[in-house]
Amino acid sequence: MNSIIVLIIGALAVVVGYGVYARYINRSIVQPDPSKATPAKMYMDGVDFSPASRNVLFGYQFKSIAALGPITGPIIAVQWGWLPALVWVILGTFFIGWVQDYGAMIMGVRREGDTMGALSYKLISPRARNILMIFIYFYLLLIMGAFGNAVGKVLMTNPKVPFGMIAVVLMGILAGQMTYKWKTDIILTTIVTVVLTFVGIWVSTLPFMSNIFSALLGGPDSPTLWGNITQAHVVGTLLVIAFCYLGSVLPIWSYAQPINYISFWIVSLGVLGGIVGLLIWRPGMGDFPVFTQFTTASGPLWPMLFITIACGAISGWHSLVSSSGTARQLEKETDALPVGGGAMFMEMAFAVIAFLTATVAFGGLQGYQDAGGAGAALGVFSKGLANFLGYIGVPNEFGVAYGSVFLTIMALTIMQLVVRFMRVASAELVGNAVPAMKNIHVGTIVALILTLIFVWIIPWLTIWSAFGAANQLMAGLALLLISLWLKEEGRKNSWAVIPSAFMIVTTLAALIYLAYTNFAKLATPEITTQGTIASVLVGAIAVVLILAAALLIVDGIKALLKPREERAPEAV
Amino acid sequence: MASTQERIRSKLRRAAHAAGEFLYGMTTYDWVRDMQRERGEIERLFVLVTFGDIIGIPILPPYYTLRLLPYVVPVINRWKRSLLRERDLTDLAGLIEGIT
Repeated sequence: MNSIIVLIIGALAVVVGYGVYARYINRSIVQPDPSKATPAKMYMDGVDFSPASRNVLFGYQFKSIAALGPITGPIIAVQWGWLPALVWVILGTFFIGWVQDYGAMIMGVRREGDTMGALSYKLISPRARNILMIFIYFYLLLIMGAFGNAVGKVLMTNPKVPFGMIAVVLMGILAGQMTYKWKTDIILTTIVTVVLTFVGIWVSTLPFMSNIFSALLGGPDSPTLWGNITQAHVVGTLLVIAFCYLGSVLPIWSYAQPINYISFWIVSLGVLGGIVGLLIWRPGMGDFPVFTQFTTASGPLWPMLFITIACGAISGWHSLVSSSGTARQLEKETDALPVGGGAMFMEMAFAVIAFLTATVAFGGLQGYQDAGGAGAALGVFSKGLANFLGYIGVPNEFGVAYGSVFLTIMALTIMQLVVRFMRVASAELVGNAVPAMKNIHVGTIVALILTLIFVWIIPWLTIWSAFGAANQLMAGLALLLISLWLKEEGRKNSWAVIPSAFMIVTTLAALIYLAYTNFAKLATPEITTQGTIASVLVGAIAVVLILAAALLIVDGIKALLKPREERAPEAV
Repeated sequence: MASTQERIRSKLRRAAHAAGEFLYGMTTYDWVRDMQRERGEIERLFVLVTFGDIIGIPILPPYYTLRLLPYVVPVINRWKRSLLRERDLTDLAGLIEGIT
């Protein structure tokens, strides 16, 4: 199939999904009232609640939900063939993804800007909130492991990448100084720092620079230090850890925030260039198979495909962002659909572009596997993007380095904020019992040591599956909450109940599969010490998530059957 | 004819404005929000220091707080709600962008 036909199918899904289905649900069932005061207006305090226009919030919401998920998931999932991956991206968004993002947002607006934690307490049960916290902590740990693995053990091991990453960091720090200390105009700051970043990426491809990093990484045949960990893996991962440490302990205005800003331009220009290159090239899929086999390295198509592609189809984290972040800024109830639903459909388009980098950029299945395949999904994207950029005159060597820096910085900007969050979370959860955890350095170091264990020990595809399962389970629970809220408001809720049931059943099946396969590995005679620790860790996490989900489902079903007045009392 | 051209121009202006707002939302809106949040936190703390007795924390003698009262009255309800609002870790989730 030609790439242009795939793009047309994606565009049609947006037109019908957003223009017909989502609008019908919005108009006929939810019935938003533009004259009703939203929490952003009623409780405007300049801290949590402050109104903003829907165009601004659309950009904010899209930036908040779209990162590495919609890129990585489809590239791994094409190992089942291109059709299952494309169908799940499109139908997942069409029937489930936007329902969750929009539902969580409008529920937040109608429930006075309550967070998912507070809503779980009120709509399901008091313990539901604690269980949600467990989900979130594991989810963050798994995301650190997954992204740390992809960046530290794949992208950073290319000697042409680390200096580019360092250039982005230095330019981010410069942007912070120029904006906050020297009060330089933002346009001048942007031009200077973005241009210098591109120069840095170009310098990283020069032989003298790549030779320095090649020596640090141990050369083309990097020596193995233990298990399957090489010197390149250790150096790459430690660079990631150092970056995250600084992101967690330094003031946000001087480091994390301006680096995010610079990376936005680096990423956006890369995506735009890639799309233009794709449209000029218009390649076909060659011999890429429609369907390969039911069981691949990641497991059986059902349920594993549905947790492999999370973002880009449906992702539980979006529900937290939609309720805690965006719902408190909506000026009107009617803005929820274009902001929540619209951003999700736009993310679907982003996932389709990532899908095309795997399926059309290399001329077929062999090219995809030669580029790294499912085991090195981010490597596939950077090489595919370089092939697209080649059609607008970008040299391949620079294109690969640019694509790798683009993905590295995308992952790192998230990881530094996640470490910040984990530091705060651990201080809140265990700070009274272990006062040392309230220290920002101790909290950060503990989070980073846990990350290192996950990165060095757990294989990439396993950790991606575990991360996807935690994410999708959160999505199922968010949809359950939306269903309960709709029932409470006396509105039809089958459009949320059915997706919720599908997500919960599918994800529980995936977790059971993960637990079973990991514990079964322990019985194999050839298992290594590293493999044993990895299997025990992943199996144990899967079991904890299954138990937590079972408790939530029992409470959720009880809440669905309860009359309104018997619900949990209001939190004080 | 003129009105058609005017309509087209007006539509283009609106589209350009929307695109500008979208770009702002994706770029510096976060910076602005962070600064607003910081200012809001300081104001919240200031009202707590001067009018803490409203929620049972006697801090300053009423004479000084009375002189500030006219400036604080308009925000008192929002301040009380903001300060006493129940919080949990999911409140922070909105601050982590682009996670997935």
